[in-house]
Amino acid sequence: MSALAAGSRPARPSRAKRNLALLGAAVVVALCALTVDLDPGEILRLPVGVGLVFYEMFLREGPEWSYFPEALGYMLESLQIAWLGTVLGAIISLPLGFFGAKNVSSGLVSNVMRQVLNAIRAFPEVVLAIAIMIPIAGLGPVAGMLALGLHSVGTLGKLTAEVIEGIDPGPVEAARATGARPLQVQRWGVLPQVLPEIVAFWLYRFEINIRASAILGVVGAGGIGFVLQQAISFNRHERAGMIILVVIGATIVVDTISGWIRRRIIEGAEAKVSGELVEPELADVTA
Amino acid sequence: MTVATAQPGGRPARPRPSLAVPIGLLAFVAVTWASASEQFGIGLEVGDLIADIGRGAEIIADLFNPDWEFLPQTVGPMVETFQMAVLASVLGCAVALLVAFLASRVTAPNAPVFLAARTVLSVVRAIPDILYALVFVAAAGIGPLAGIAALTFFNIGVVAKLLSETVDGVDTGPIEAARAAGGNRLQTVRWSVLPQVLPNYVAYSLYTFELNIRASTVIGIVGAGGIGYLLQTQYRFFAWERVSVIIIELFVFVFLIELLSIWLRRRLV
Repeated sequence: MSALAAGSRPARPSRAKRNLALLGAAVVVALCALTVDLDPGEILRLPVGVGLVFYEMFLREGPEWSYFPEALGYMLESLQIAWLGTVLGAIISLPLGFFGAKNVSSGLVSNVMRQVLNAIRAFPEVVLAIAIMIPIAGLGPVAGMLALGLHSVGTLGKLTAEVIEGIDPGPVEAARATGARPLQVQRWGVLPQVLPEIVAFWLYRFEINIRASAILGVVGAGGIGFVLQQAISFNRHERAGMIILVVIGATIVVDTISGWIRRRIIEGAEAKVSGELVEPELADVTA
Repeated sequence: MTVATAQPGGRPARPRPSLAVPIGLLAFVAVTWASASEQFGIGLEVGDLIADIGRGAEIIADLFNPDWEFLPQTVGPMVETFQMAVLASVLGCAVALLVAFLASRVTAPNAPVFLAARTVLSVVRAIPDILYALVFVAAAGIGPLAGIAALTFFNIGVVAKLLSETVDGVDTGPIEAARAAGGNRLQTVRWSVLPQVLPNYVAYSLYTFELNIRASTVIGIVGAGGIGYLLQTQYRFFAWERVSVIIIELFVFVFLIELLSIWLRRRLV
């Protein structure tokens, strides 16, 4: 302190650690960039290639409008797969979420349940479809629905457990004090507190599952992915353009409706104008 | 006021039942039934499904019998997946930083730019990662370049949206201070907005890196390089013992990346 001259600045905090971390990240990135199997000519040609594909999809003869009804049919199948997968995931994950919450189940049970849910989440839907559901249900939309459902159990179960851990203990105590049995405590003390948020998660998961269902068709598990890949691998780019328009349109429409319902559920009828909802899966990123 | 009208010891009047709940339940049942039906939907037969469970047993038994001699052949594609995820995260997050500032009311230079950036963002986000992958594979051919490009777009959508919302919520005090000190737009963003959102930006970037590791399997399946492409080729030949090796490896890899990411987030944010 005494060494500081009057009016001089305090010493800068050390930045060695931060600089070291940045250097480490830069080295990893540089190594990846140098060793990845790409040649520079390929990169330079990419914009031209994309431009050409875009031209063939939407501009040369326009997208193939006569394919619109069929594309819509496949998209409807994708939406149905996503819907049923979400319903399946929601039904199974609700009780599992209760088991995974520390405050309503025991410490050991909740830990085991969380690990099970984490393990399920680690497998992408398409891997579940290939490895488990197609062998069981055969090729087709049922396998896709089961794969989406199982993956959703992982994500929804985790979110449900987290919401339950955040409840107000008052109503639970009140229910106990009136002599409620354990199941009644859950029904009347816990469920009413968490249900709106959990239903909002279900809808949000439905939105995600619509996007995820696009890949399922590629491995033969139903939906629009199949015809899209066919169109692209047989160079029917104008047909692929039509399919892409249908996917984007349907996704935006469903997102809008689902987002509106989610807002109504969470904020009530009064909140008509409001910003976008934070995506629940990011809660743990920002917290 | 209501206290005065209530009977002593009487209950308050029940709130009027809302129509939203029964209508919602009815809609839910109708949509679910239609989706599952043979006629309108995917034709889900629970009875058949239960009968079929035995059919998959043989394949699933093969999955529990991984062919570890295949392991060395998976190392190359796995490394490629990692490279794709790293490069796409860096590129995507760099572009997203710029887009996010254009797509936030606080920092956008003017209304048209703001609206344009918002619109572009919502279209970019409506397109599933797999769709990008298919288009880039059509444009660039099979290989990691298509994967990197697809993941980059996917990342721009995720990070730019999250970051623009964070920017919307910054404290405006430092912005005013920077303006008062004569800072131009760029300087204001650099010295009063960026420092506020930097921790979130780092968290979002790590999160997308994790997402990319997972997503790169998915997009690899359509030919965008990495482990997903290998998975698809082995699956095509019904080489279940090899598929099994890849799945176990992926599981371990995703798990390790998640641990690393959680640790980094704790340290940095």
